[in-house]
Amino acid sequence: MLTWVVVFALAAGVYAQRAAGALLVDTERLSLRWRRVLDVLPLAIISAVVALATLSDDGELIVDARAAGVVVAAICAWRKMPMFVTVLAAAATTALLRAIT
Amino acid sequence: MRGWALPTNTQFTTGEAFTIGFAYFTVGLTVAVLHVSDGTAPWVMVGSIFLVNSVTPTLAYAAVTASGGSSAAGLFSGWLVSTRFGLFAAAIAPRLWPSKTKRAVAAHAAFDPNVALAMRESSDANAQRVYTAASLWLCVPWWIGGLIGTLIGSGLSDPGALGLDAVFPAALLAIVWPQLRARDPLVIALLAAIAALLLVEITPGGVPVLVAACAALVTLRSRD
Repeated sequence: MLTWVVVFALAAGVYAQRAAGALLVDTERLSLRWRRVLDVLPLAIISAVVALATLSDDGELIVDARAAGVVVAAICAWRKMPMFVTVLAAAATTALLRAIT
Repeated sequence: MRGWALPTNTQFTTGEAFTIGFAYFTVGLTVAVLHVSDGTAPWVMVGSIFLVNSVTPTLAYAAVTASGGSSAAGLFSGWLVSTRFGLFAAAIAPRLWPSKTKRAVAAHAAFDPNVALAMRESSDANAQRVYTAASLWLCVPWWIGGLIGTLIGSGLSDPGALGLDAVFPAALLAIVWPQLRARDPLVIALLAAIAALLLVEITPGGVPVLVAACAALVTLRSRD
């Protein structure tokens, strides 16, 4: 259960990290090599987030209908289908599997 | 609808805009329902939606405290899982406006998809336009979804039955997919995913993603 104190504490902590990231990176003194690291950073983080959001729940590994949905999403993305179709196909696959099992 | 919401001459498409909106609407809806059903007062939920502007830390807090952890442990866990937003803000920082005020505002909206989509642009000016547009397409639906979820409260029986929990990973996967055609990005993505899965059961929330972020360092080994 969230309370105002918790919300303020979390908001302060999250914003402090976001602001530090946006304000402390010294753009002009950043070398090309480190600039490239920053360029691929979102890819690394998103890949980890996708893996965790697909195959884990509450800190435990689990394979369920979501995994099938995300596999279908991967096939759609590979076939260069529009993103909206990809996402709907993932949700529909997951919902269908849950309905029939 | 062309203009600031769908900047011209960029790679940002109408389909992407709607998909992000839809994905974050469902995230806002389901998470607000979850927190309110868990006993969070409606106004506190509304405050959380706008002030924290992310569901990751509040979910982590709820998970830790629900499993018997102290409030302090919950807060620490909430801060730890949100380190990725600091990293996203740092990644987009070199592309943002020089103005500190604009950066300070932009930082509050640092999420996964808007940063990734903005960074596809080759010019900084376009990256800034896409960041603004994608942030609005993401935040406004997530706020509305969160507000509706707060109103519904425990009325929505099971968001899982609609497959909504697959929407978030599917949308993020679709965004990074085109990058995976090159070898280095593919290696980085696989390393990051494997590291996160190996660590998820043995480290506190947030740590798997932090370690996985180090996969970005692979790019240092190629020299030119």
